[in-house]
Amino acid sequence: MRIQIRQTWNHLFTVFSSMSVVLMVAALLLFLVPMLGKGMSAVFFRGTVEFRKMQHDLYGLGSESTLQKEIAATQAARDDIYAIFDRFSRGIDTDLLAGEAKRLYRDHGDELRYQNVPKDEYTALRKQAKGIRNHLMDAFESVDKAEIFEHLDAVEAFKSDASLKGTSVEKLIAMAADYRNIAETVDFSKRADYAEELDAVEEELFRLFGPRPGVERALAMESYGATRWDVVQKHLHQLVWQESWVLSEDGQQMVQKQVRRDDPKEGSFAGTQLAPMFALVEETVSETLRPRRTFYWRYFVQDSTPGHYFGGVGPEILGTLLLTVLAMCFAVPLGVISAAYLVEYAGENWVIKIIRVCINTLAGVPSIVYGLFGLAFFVEYVTAKQKCITSASMTLALLVLPVIIRASEEAIRAVPRTYREAAMGLGAGKFRTFATVTLPAAGPGILTGIILSLSRAAGETAPILFAGAVALGPIPDFAGKWWFQPTRALSYGCHDITVGDKLAMMVPHNQYGMVMTLILLVLCLNIVAIVIRSRMSKKLRGY
Amino acid sequence: MKYLKTMVFVSAVLLAATGAMAEKLVIDGSTTVGPIGDAFAEAFKDKCDVTVSKTGSGDGAKSLVAGSCDIAMMSRFMKDKEFKTAVDKGIMPVAHVVAMDGVCSIVHPSNPVKSLTTAQIKDIYKGKITNWKQVGGADMPIVVISRDTSSGTYETFHGLVMKKEKMASHVEYVSSNPQSHARVKSTKGAIAYVGLGFVDREVRALKVDGVAPSRSTIAKGIYPVSRPLYLFTAGYPKLGSPAHLFCTFHLSEEGQEIVEAKGFVPVTDY
Repeated sequence: MRIQIRQTWNHLFTVFSSMSVVLMVAALLLFLVPMLGKGMSAVFFRGTVEFRKMQHDLYGLGSESTLQKEIAATQAARDDIYAIFDRFSRGIDTDLLAGEAKRLYRDHGDELRYQNVPKDEYTALRKQAKGIRNHLMDAFESVDKAEIFEHLDAVEAFKSDASLKGTSVEKLIAMAADYRNIAETVDFSKRADYAEELDAVEEELFRLFGPRPGVERALAMESYGATRWDVVQKHLHQLVWQESWVLSEDGQQMVQKQVRRDDPKEGSFAGTQLAPMFALVEETVSETLRPRRTFYWRYFVQDSTPGHYFGGVGPEILGTLLLTVLAMCFAVPLGVISAAYLVEYAGENWVIKIIRVCINTLAGVPSIVYGLFGLAFFVEYVTAKQKCITSASMTLALLVLPVIIRASEEAIRAVPRTYREAAMGLGAGKFRTFATVTLPAAGPGILTGIILSLSRAAGETAPILFAGAVALGPIPDFAGKWWFQPTRALSYGCHDITVGDKLAMMVPHNQYGMVMTLILLVLCLNIVAIVIRSRMSKKLRGY
Repeated sequence: MKYLKTMVFVSAVLLAATGAMAEKLVIDGSTTVGPIGDAFAEAFKDKCDVTVSKTGSGDGAKSLVAGSCDIAMMSRFMKDKEFKTAVDKGIMPVAHVVAMDGVCSIVHPSNPVKSLTTAQIKDIYKGKITNWKQVGGADMPIVVISRDTSSGTYETFHGLVMKKEKMASHVEYVSSNPQSHARVKSTKGAIAYVGLGFVDREVRALKVDGVAPSRSTIAKGIYPVSRPLYLFTAGYPKLGSPAHLFCTFHLSEEGQEIVEAKGFVPVTDY
């Protein structure tokens, strides 16, 4: 009977322990797989011609001649789209036309003054030109077709006037003829609606193709169109489909309604000259943007534009590595020596007990407290008020010190007494015994502690937030005093990219990419440490 | 002895070289103004070494007073206490208004409510109005979302809409603008407030007191919940210095374009 109970217990234990392992693996998969999968999209994606343009302009990559050819080819395809768009928008957005008319009128004045026309004649000619301009402006302003044609007729009455040949006024008259063509096809009663929709369409065209050739923008993020195929798809959808929310029933939630903008029945541009553009953009999108499979390995080495809109995480990786390695340089010797003292030299009195309690407590202190301590002590007194790599890594060292001390202490304690006794028996002193026998034997255990703290140091944000991490700063300059420079870091970058800017919402792949990089970096560091540990224990075992 | 001399000489040269590298400009402060700092830094990257960190308005003020940064970005004016500490230390803070920002109340696009008054919004955050039915919407409980109390956006909202009164206990706090945006995007009954730059097609900005938030209404001060964004320097920066160029960059045409691109309202109108 008792044996049966024992067996049942055994089975239960097996079931529960295997279940917990399965649960852990599932949680890990649920967390890691989507994170890494989405992160990979920062490296593997279909890059468009805009991407190659950006890489060439910002980082000097790719061959100039092939790129120019590609740009020329895509530009030719884009020009057809812009031609349709421009033609239609001239009828809607008449501010531009009005501006041009005003400019021509001013030019006319300049011409006359340049020719030294007598004053009376000058006044008469200017008056005539002003009349023509005003008619034209009225035509642009008006939304009533009959009225528009009336004004245009008045302007075109001067067409046969020979004295105006070759002057700016002739151009004004030509504008009137041009506008007549447009006016015949535009439904002016809808001009206000069109204008609003047209702004949206123009915005989406800009997101797809970037600024028109010749237009210079101050920021890199505004200088290129959609660099990735997934972004292209998104903006293409927003370009072609009009999204609106309509009230289905009074007092109810509104429901989303999607209509193609060129839909013959309900589309906002139904039956207009703009309607064919949408189909054209859709058809030619692979021609205008030329997507190509891209393996963007430079993501891990390239610098980024501020806000991480374009570019990679090179400086962040470098910064994180520097911080972590330097933190280990501070923490490992200190930690191991303290552990050695606690085990080998200190007795078991109440002072030591209190110290142990303190170390255990330190291990549980929230990381932001370390961050504030780092600001108040290291930044203020050690590095002369300069937020820098040294102060940040010192803070990190402080954070991981308790973990290293505890792990080393346990590892040193676990070395069999007989080892020490044998060494002592051979005449070795206390220090020699420790340095040549105990420490190597405890090596793998100590390394386990170091691995744990390494990952923690690489991933912590709070301690370096005040002590040395910046969102934007110089890349560590190894020719100068890099240890006195602040640095970018992956963990702080992840924080910055999610809280700061609306930009981050536009580049989710970079967000995930940075998280993925951090996970991979920690993984690599761990693997290196694990390899060293297994070598070490192999040597210890003696085979 | 000879070696020592060369060593001293070499290190002196090295020191001089590092000192004379590019001029440095350290910027710290608000996460809201941060994007402007980032973008200006992009435009300045050939002229000097710019370092930007975003720790919050309060920390920006502190590091300006402590002398560890040249320019503090702040989404609110300096508090009396901060100003006093600065003056006691012999530092005269000078404010440069770099842009305007509107704090927009946003709801899910499916919400039929288009407009609220400040009093109604205040009642929602005080818990007096708990259902959209009460303000002319569908029968649905209101999920109230606010920024954390340490943010400048909260302070603006708290001062201009809440009139410094306490929010109800059921209000949910999130710690950044993108989080508010994401929460409203995915919750049909939610209301939150974000900066103008975060209003897009996925959420709808409400009219407040009948005024829709837009560039012109905010610039003119018609929209009731708008605020200036500041750059603070210790005294007016030396004319022609990098700090001076940086603090006046928003007055140029290029600077205005950048401010607009980042979703803020420029103070200039080219």
